[in-house]
Amino acid sequence: MSEPLLSIRGLRAKVEGEDGEILRGVDLDLERGEVHALMGPNGSGKSTLAKVIAGHPAYEVTAGEILFEGEDVLELEPDERSRAGIFLAFQYPAEVPGVSIANFLRTAVNSRLGEGEEMDVFGFQRTLTEKMEMLKMDPGFAARYLNDGFSGGEKKRNEILQMAVLRPALGVLDETDSGLDIDALKIVASGVNRLSEADEALGVLLITHYKRILNYIRPDRVHVMMAGRIAESGGASLADKLEAEGYDWLHRAVAAV
Amino acid sequence: MTAGPAESTLAAADFDTLSGGLTEPEAIAVARAAAWARFTSLPWPTKKSEEWRYTDLTKIGFEALTPVVPAPATAEALSADVREVLGRSGERAGVVVLREGRVAHLELEPEVARSGVVLSSIRDAADRHPEVLRRALLEAQPGPAEEKLWALHLALLGGGYFLYVPRGVEMPAPIHAFHVVERAGTLSSAHSFVYGESGARAAVIDEFFSDDLDAETVSLHGATITGEGGAGIDYVALQRFGRGVKRFSTQHVVAGRDSRVVTFNVALGGDLSRADVTSRLDGPGSDSEMLALWFGDSDQHFDHHTLQHHAAPHAHSDLLFKGALTDAGSSVFRGLIRVDKGAQLTDAYQTNRNLLLSERSHASALPNLEIEADDVRCSHGATIGQVEDGQLFYLMSRGLTRRQAERLLVFGFFDEVLGRLPMEGVRARVREAIEEKIGL
Repeated sequence: MSEPLLSIRGLRAKVEGEDGEILRGVDLDLERGEVHALMGPNGSGKSTLAKVIAGHPAYEVTAGEILFEGEDVLELEPDERSRAGIFLAFQYPAEVPGVSIANFLRTAVNSRLGEGEEMDVFGFQRTLTEKMEMLKMDPGFAARYLNDGFSGGEKKRNEILQMAVLRPALGVLDETDSGLDIDALKIVASGVNRLSEADEALGVLLITHYKRILNYIRPDRVHVMMAGRIAESGGASLADKLEAEGYDWLHRAVAAV
Repeated sequence: MTAGPAESTLAAADFDTLSGGLTEPEAIAVARAAAWARFTSLPWPTKKSEEWRYTDLTKIGFEALTPVVPAPATAEALSADVREVLGRSGERAGVVVLREGRVAHLELEPEVARSGVVLSSIRDAADRHPEVLRRALLEAQPGPAEEKLWALHLALLGGGYFLYVPRGVEMPAPIHAFHVVERAGTLSSAHSFVYGESGARAAVIDEFFSDDLDAETVSLHGATITGEGGAGIDYVALQRFGRGVKRFSTQHVVAGRDSRVVTFNVALGGDLSRADVTSRLDGPGSDSEMLALWFGDSDQHFDHHTLQHHAAPHAHSDLLFKGALTDAGSSVFRGLIRVDKGAQLTDAYQTNRNLLLSERSHASALPNLEIEADDVRCSHGATIGQVEDGQLFYLMSRGLTRRQAERLLVFGFFDEVLGRLPMEGVRARVREAIEEKIGL
């Protein structure tokens, strides 16, 4: 297969029912096995891009396309995109009282298996325990209600746990690093790295505000988003430049266009 | 198996045909005859009555139904479907199977029987404990709007079981009763009688079921649950009738001093299912927890009507009823907290929450207070809402279809109530029945 894992072309999107585009022509290619960091100031459209890739119903795509493994996914429902191999680690995961992590994840795993091929409770429990150990999670965690009353760090870890169990082809991590102390950040980063090691074809789009996580997850490419477009792309050194110089030089460059 | 020679429609029935020429204990014969006279003299309540505004009794063809004549208990082997459920239901102290009200099987663990616990048909109880039976039935006097159905229930009385737990005896496990309806077009009735003396502990699960029936069929049910001082009683009614069945259950709790009674109604099946649940806080320090869950699809209709009657001071009652509806399912909750003048320091709560999964589903919620004492803490509230978009998207983004996500959210919505069921084995049974119904 020669087509990129993810190929976004001229993508424009807005909040359903509102004027004013948030994404104003995004182009981005991500190959299998690559880790791309997507940086940029607040309000530049990073999180919107993540949600549009996952199929959030609150956004309307007005132009462009998103090809995943060569197939246009814009007409697919969020669950179809998930089963196709796209995973979004939410910036703000929903709280679902009354539904345990174990019960939820087992339903999610079985939703991608055929009828009669569902994983039994014990097989699933083994997988879950193994992934939880990797993320240094307490075994009792699986019985807790999904994100209900979780700390910020627990929510983020829970997102990576779900990614580890569901084994997507593409992980879009929307500010998974924000709000984490350094220990939690290291655990999350090493979890992502181990997923990459276990699956060499795994593609990761790492959306972040800060360079900090890039000290632990080394990106192949860094993109900077400004005002709804990719304003600059480069190697890992681009993140160093942003860290040193901020976004001002890019603001000026974008304004000059 | 037929009920005897005297089958006729309700319209053509008189008291003799309803007795089928059987001899029966006098306590029952007298009560039934009075109830029949009362039934025939009362008009059917119509939608003009507040209590029946959302559930139209006049649309039910009562007159054409065949009343099932009360018949003596038989001793049949357990059927395969009952054995199957029992195999998955954890420990129990006894089993009762009722077929259209007639006791067809009854067993009690010998050790429990030796501790003095009585489990028998109501008929046998009328011979041996007529006074207890009479008092409980007299106390269970429902409101005027319920009287017609209650009279019909009593007129057909004869079916049902009697559980008596003597002073200080704690039953080690629940009694599991199965109310089976098999004959389409019938009108049958059964009664669950549960009595705990001072300090007794008892638990009962009544499970109602039938196949889908091809003619309108009505199942009446009454429960009288009494806890004397310091008693603890847990009562669960799990209704999973097939289509075609219309079900009316009238449940009456009397909670004595420092007793604690939990009732839990689960409505899943039938075309129409109504439960009228009254808890009378009769002694100081008594505690009543009233719980219910329902899930309606297709054009099912569920009606829950409750009264928390605080007749004594220092008592506590807490009601939590939750329902979810899809397709053209509908439901009504009407609840009242009534606090008598002398019932100071009452602590009473009433909450009804409804979750609508479809445009065509409809829920009505009518919570109410009637307080005559002046030093009380009471609150009531009701909500009708939809699934949250944020939760739905989150679950779907993990591969769950919209339907799976919605059903999982219903389960989450129910969990708060299920978690309050005290007995692990019964909780597992109820959870399983709900899973089966909502099809996760």
